[in-house]
Amino acid sequence: MMGRVGLHLIVHEFIERLRDRWVIASSLVFALLASAVSAYGITAGANAVALTGPSLATLVSLLVPLVAMILSHDAIVGERERNTLGLLLSLAVRRWEVIVAKYIGRGAALAVSVCAGLGLASVVAGKEQGAVLLQLIPATLLLGWAFLAIGMLISSISSRPVSASTMVVIVWFVLVFFFDLALLGLLVATDGYISTKTISNLVIANPAGLYRIQVLSRLSGAEALANLGMTVAPPSGALIAFIWGSWIVGPLVVSWAILSRRRVR
Amino acid sequence: MKTLALEKVTVRFGTLYALSSASVSLEAGQVLMLVGPNGAGKTTLTRVLLGLVRPNAGVVRVDGEVCPINNKFKKSIGYLPEAVSFSDSLSGKQVLRFFARARGVSSKAVPGVLDRVGLKHAAGRSVRGYSKGMRQRLGLAVAIIGEPKLLILDEPTGGLDTEGLSVLWSILAEWREKKRMVFMASHQLAMLERRVDKMGVFLDGKLLACDSPAELRASVGLKQKAVLSLSEDSNDGVEEFVEAVEDWKHGIGKLVGNNLTVHLEEGKLLELMDIRARHPNAVKGIQTQEPTLDMIYERLLEIPA
Repeated sequence: MMGRVGLHLIVHEFIERLRDRWVIASSLVFALLASAVSAYGITAGANAVALTGPSLATLVSLLVPLVAMILSHDAIVGERERNTLGLLLSLAVRRWEVIVAKYIGRGAALAVSVCAGLGLASVVAGKEQGAVLLQLIPATLLLGWAFLAIGMLISSISSRPVSASTMVVIVWFVLVFFFDLALLGLLVATDGYISTKTISNLVIANPAGLYRIQVLSRLSGAEALANLGMTVAPPSGALIAFIWGSWIVGPLVVSWAILSRRRVR
Repeated sequence: MKTLALEKVTVRFGTLYALSSASVSLEAGQVLMLVGPNGAGKTTLTRVLLGLVRPNAGVVRVDGEVCPINNKFKKSIGYLPEAVSFSDSLSGKQVLRFFARARGVSSKAVPGVLDRVGLKHAAGRSVRGYSKGMRQRLGLAVAIIGEPKLLILDEPTGGLDTEGLSVLWSILAEWREKKRMVFMASHQLAMLERRVDKMGVFLDGKLLACDSPAELRASVGLKQKAVLSLSEDSNDGVEEFVEAVEDWKHGIGKLVGNNLTVHLEEGKLLELMDIRARHPNAVKGIQTQEPTLDMIYERLLEIPA
């Protein structure tokens, strides 16, 4: 059970992140781009969602992981740099509470950013289409929270904020851009030796890939996935929950283990 | 909390002994200062007390009882880390409000504490615009909010201007007066020497000595010094006075020009005054000098002056 310090830390982290200019700037960029995609979709009339849905999903899968990792990459290493990690741990708080409280506080700030961005996009899209776009919010939050947890892990491993920032860019590039290309390359290079099913499983093992599949199947149905080469059945709800859960809980547990073992200055 | 003792504390990082069986103790109303070169072990001992480092051996005792560094103990601690900074996006007031709430102190206490450390005018300003000294003052405010029984300060004078130092001195005086404890690590011996009750000297993870400045002075053989300005008139009994001092067994004298320097044994100044009284015209002036903590420190570490 989380103690008083942990609960106050959640609120503190939430306020701090909402005031951070980098977070404000990246959230504004996301909101503006999402609204621009929505505005463009209006021109398609009745087919607006079919046009803007996939575009918005692609935009979200590119931007939200970056915003999430910007939010969390300095959670631990920033405290180390400012010499406040020891001060924080000198309070009546356990180390897992620090990790979890920072995660929840920052996760709430991310939720505000995502809801503001997609909310604005849905307002621009109009009442009917907007309601469909709002359905993207739960999956988008899961995507953001998974990358937020990865950012926490990066923050726990790094010795300096600048190395954490570098690692964020590398992880973002690998998971968001390079991963799908690498799988495609693997498929071509092995000339069918690796089955489509294996490749599909690898796609959904990546949070960015899972998000795209989840959102596209919701907006455009299984047909849209087949058009993208996903010939296997969409993952079950339990599998989806397991993958999201692993990407959220796994990095946090490792972060806690690292914080427990590393020397605090 | 009336007494605090760290007994035979050993901390090993791999094969390196950061602390080797170090013992220090502190009573209510005392200020303990740990000194030593970088890497000597003083900060490691501080971290043991904060629960940031688990010792390989040794215990912490509070009022004679073994005390684990748990959340209950931590509630009695206020801590100022070395060269502390805070999140740039928050104001000083917001930072302090968080630490107040985390310690179970009402937010109403925040303006008063900020005023106490001289940050009232900058309370609503973002920490981004704070100077190094202002950040240190905010760190002091964080350490003292909730009036902890044990104040742990790591290099508390860093970045403080004259006004900031006055704030620090008043805090040290208040903690002494209210029978609380201060445990600090610092390199600023000259600044702090009149404000500490005990000094622990570390070198290579070993505690060389830990006692009051007077005891340490006596243990290293450093003596109080008196410089006597002698009369230039030989009829004033100067020769007799110098002979009397030489015959006196409690001080070693050295005459250079008209100045006689006497290294006194502890508590023998009054006897020297008696000798002077018997030769009233021989001495025109007298200046006494206590060995400073710097001198004690240098002697303990055998650093050539």
